[in-house]
Amino acid sequence: MTTSSHKLVNTTARPGATAPGTLRMAGLGLAAFATGAAMIAFAGAWSAAQLVGEGGSGADVTTLAIWTFGLTTLAFGTAKLGIASILLAIRRRVLGRVDSIKFALPHLMPQDPAGPRRALGEYDSAFGPAVATDRAPAPLPIHRLAGLMWLPMLAMAAMALFGGFILALVAAANVATDPTLAVSQRAWVQGLQFLGEGFALAGISFLLARILSTLRSGGGEVQEGLGLTVETLRMPVTAKIFVVLMMAGLMVEVVQFIAYAVVAGMTDPTQIAVASTWLGPLREFGLGLLLAGIVLALVTIARALDFQTARIVQIITRGQ
Amino acid sequence: MTSTPRSDFAVEHSDRSLGPNLPQRIGRFLWSPMLAMALMAFPLGFILSVIRAGIIGNGGDPQAVAALGHFGPAAMFAGFAAVFAAIAFAIARILGAFRAGGGAVQEASGRTVQTLRMLPIAKAFLGLMAMAMMILVGAVIAHVVIGLGILDGTPGALDSAESSAIQLEAIRRIGVILYLLSIALGLASIAEVLRFQAIRLRELPSEAAR
Repeated sequence: MTTSSHKLVNTTARPGATAPGTLRMAGLGLAAFATGAAMIAFAGAWSAAQLVGEGGSGADVTTLAIWTFGLTTLAFGTAKLGIASILLAIRRRVLGRVDSIKFALPHLMPQDPAGPRRALGEYDSAFGPAVATDRAPAPLPIHRLAGLMWLPMLAMAAMALFGGFILALVAAANVATDPTLAVSQRAWVQGLQFLGEGFALAGISFLLARILSTLRSGGGEVQEGLGLTVETLRMPVTAKIFVVLMMAGLMVEVVQFIAYAVVAGMTDPTQIAVASTWLGPLREFGLGLLLAGIVLALVTIARALDFQTARIVQIITRGQ
Repeated sequence: MTSTPRSDFAVEHSDRSLGPNLPQRIGRFLWSPMLAMALMAFPLGFILSVIRAGIIGNGGDPQAVAALGHFGPAAMFAGFAAVFAAIAFAIARILGAFRAGGGAVQEASGRTVQTLRMLPIAKAFLGLMAMAMMILVGAVIAHVVIGLGILDGTPGALDSAESSAIQLEAIRRIGVILYLLSIALGLASIAEVLRFQAIRLRELPSEAAR
């Protein structure tokens, strides 16, 4: 064991790397607030069910159905924005961990490397295909895209969800006075709010891709800074499927929005009923694809962490 | 092993990495079956809704329309229950990677291994996830039972089909928001674990090797 710090790397911690997290608390606060809003909507929806059971006024039931839908979907979206805030906190923490590894490793690794250096080029690691280079790898196209797109996606999500909720209140107020207009507005509410849900999940997906990017670049930064061969996990299959599912889910949400815009222009009640019957599940199918993509992104993060742990242990024990 | 207790985090001291705990080991094995179930249930729910839309468009049997109005959401929300469970298991898998990996790095350095005890928010994550899953699965079962009752001609089942559908929709929404809250708590646990690891790594060079 050595305490030498002969290998000089930048060990300055990024600001706020280890401080208590405001983003994390803000995210949890948003999620808790959203839960409260969903409980209010639950009470409204339950009243609607009771009205139906007691043969109450159809207009009253529709009014309740419209605003509870708007509020619930806004609550779901708010919780997702809270999750996005926590993911931002995680990315900041990952950077802090990279700084700490850069600080600690030169003190923990042996001065004299044991065994031969890994040859440059591709190889099969215990965690999947990997590549050995002498420089830190450049970001992948999806990582660059994620850096550009996460904020616009979340901003559009917030606008669509909140705009849809306002429209839901307007539509609910119009049920008694102008039922035809209310039906049209209700279609817009559903299309707009689920487009917002899709944007929120896409924003979360891009943030997960950003975390993966930070893990990849951080690992490269540490190894290159120590003058070691840079070993990087190649993009796993789970990450590739994640990107496909995210894009497919987002496209489905755009399609359902367009379809609801068409429904908003319909006047025949049977046509509206038929379209609404399959459009609801279609928009949920789109969200399902996005959520499935998120599962794979999380699993990819876990695999990248396993790879990094093995590499750090290797550096500590072998010095290279 | 003698060790100095720390005031900032509740930790366990050991000579070796403790490895993932039980929920984390479960997460490692169950995320993929859950994801597979979700990917089968979503298309099924959509197909059932298309069939129902066709029956409505043709002015078909109201009994079939009402029954499919329960079977469709049952399939779709079986999918949501499964995909949210897969997300929760994947989060547990990540927490396991941090717990085992953090221990392995400390062990390799020859220092005392400090492992963060399960955080209260991680416990809340598990509890809420279980609650949300039970609510969604309960709603799915209720949809199937009501749908079968309608098909069997159970007295009153057709009359109450709409109100029970609205009630179950409200219950499903509660399940979904609880899942989202639990996922937020699980991710917040990851952020806290990262903070601990960043601090702990900086302590290692100043500690004597065992």
